[in-house]
Amino acid sequence: MDDELSTELREMDDELDEMLEGEDLAPPQGDDWNPVEKVILERRSVRKYKDKQVPESVVRRILEAGRFAPSAGNCQPWKFIVVRDPELIDEMERDARRMCRLFRFFMDWRTSPLGYWIPWLLAQTYIRLLHHELHPIPMGAVFAISEGNLSLFHGAPTVVFILEDFRGVSKPKVDIGCCGQNMVLAAHSMGLGTCWVGTIKLLTFTPKWRRRLGVKFPYKFCEAVTIGYPVGHPDGMIPRETVETDWYEDGRKRTTF
Amino acid sequence: MGEFTLFEMLRIPTYDNEDYATTGRVTIDLEKCNGCGLCAKVCPGKALYVAGEGKDRKAHMHADFPQCMSCNDCAAICERDAIFVSVPYFFPFFFKTQGKGEFSPPRKF
Ligand code: SF4
Ligand code: SF4
Repeated sequence: MDDELSTELREMDDELDEMLEGEDLAPPQGDDWNPVEKVILERRSVRKYKDKQVPESVVRRILEAGRFAPSAGNCQPWKFIVVRDPELIDEMERDARRMCRLFRFFMDWRTSPLGYWIPWLLAQTYIRLLHHELHPIPMGAVFAISEGNLSLFHGAPTVVFILEDFRGVSKPKVDIGCCGQNMVLAAHSMGLGTCWVGTIKLLTFTPKWRRRLGVKFPYKFCEAVTIGYPVGHPDGMIPRETVETDWYEDGRKRTTF
Repeated sequence: MGEFTLFEMLRIPTYDNEDYATTGRVTIDLEKCNGCGLCAKVCPGKALYVAGEGKDRKAHMHADFPQCMSCNDCAAICERDAIFVSVPYFFPFFFKTQGKGEFSPPRKF
């Protein structure tokens, strides 16, 4: 009897859930954001920087935030390279642009001088091997860089390369993510703008920058973060897609957004 | 949303095929926009441009396959609340969006 009642109640509950789903409910009004939440929610990637250099002490503090990130087995699989020489940054930009042109030569079947079919086949082959790199969105970036519409480091005065120690415990790339996120949030809390630059991958297809920056075993390039003072006020809370979340509680499953 | 079929899992679409992929779209309130151009400067996809003279100087989105990734960076930097994403980007097959709901600002639960 009790069981029946509870199943019935559960069904009613489910029905109610279904009825409410998709309806425009007033947004929940909990407590105000605390300062940490504010920093997290307001941080946006910054792609336009002022020329003013960031003081060294500030960059050092940002690196400290990275140093104290969690990592699997406390293996700390990272090393930093800070580049603040405009000539060096420019040279990297030029090389990245050259690499993008090369990519387009071989894989952009609409503009390649190789004609239609060879680049088309190459693109179809490589996208199966490198579907992260050749996802349509980074591919758009590659086109924009090759045309000179987009720059690798967005004119930032300071670039921090995070190298990955590939002997790290478990998943070193996840640890690099934690480390970098600590740094960008710390930077944002100091009024700086940051942007993750995964496109530094373009510099790793030839040994040139590995040699120039002395990246040797066991390290390899993983990510870069640009740091500088943003133009305008790019930070703010914006709408973004909610994400489907399965929720197991009280012996049943709900899906929330 | 829904599940992936085997065909979808195997079919990897390549970059910007206008025939089926849709990029993000923004709505620009031309009344509010003053053509300051900040949005066009920060847009990672270079999907925006400013055109026009004097009072008619306004931001626009490229009509021909703008590489908009619906990041809302333009909305964040616009000081006049004139621009926001109205359509999220969508690629079919292997890159199909899954498990995402409506756009919503951060919610205070
Ligand atoms: S930032 Fe806003 S006001 Fe300025 S051009 Fe863009 S939409 Fe117009
Ligand atoms: S949403 Fe992002 S990619 Fe799209 S137009 Fe705005 S800034 Fe550009």
